[in-house]
Amino acid sequence: MAKPPLRKPKKKVCQFCKKNPQTIDYKDTTLLRKFVSDRGKIRARRVTGNCTQHQRDIAMAIKNSREMALMPYSSTAR
Amino acid sequence: MRQYELMVILDPDLEERTVAPSLDQFLTVITKDGGSVDKVDIWGRRRLAHEISKKSDGIYAVIEMQAEPDTVKELDRQLNLTEAVLRTKVVRRDGK
Repeated sequence: MAKPPLRKPKKKVCQFCKKNPQTIDYKDTTLLRKFVSDRGKIRARRVTGNCTQHQRDIAMAIKNSREMALMPYSSTAR
Repeated sequence: MRQYELMVILDPDLEERTVAPSLDQFLTVITKDGGSVDKVDIWGRRRLAHEISKKSDGIYAVIEMQAEPDTVKELDRQLNLTEAVLRTKVVRRDGK
């Protein structure tokens, strides 16, 4: 029986923990854009490699920024 | 006294040069109650990522200030009553 090939997960380090003095601001859309898909959805922690706390900060910032129409709730790309 | 950051989106039909005076008028509430306005940054006309009350543009302004919580609440209430204001957001600058 063929075993499924073992995939070795690359352990990512949260980029905000690495360089400490970086605040997450809802006005900084260029930073936040890296954490949404091309359809405007927030990327999962699995994908971004953020730690729990920073993923939450990012998510809050994106949601704030959506409220102020700086980022889309959904973009109809495709 | 706390540090706040206020962002307002104003109606795009407003004349760009009337923005600063009208903001100053709103902010008199802060100065009158002993707070201080540190910075007023008018971003100007910007495209909105999605429509807000059928408008696809907006005039953005970011204001940094120090004030008592109640004063800010009052300012936010007054802004929401004004029709030229599409949306507001108050965020605390210190801590959190």
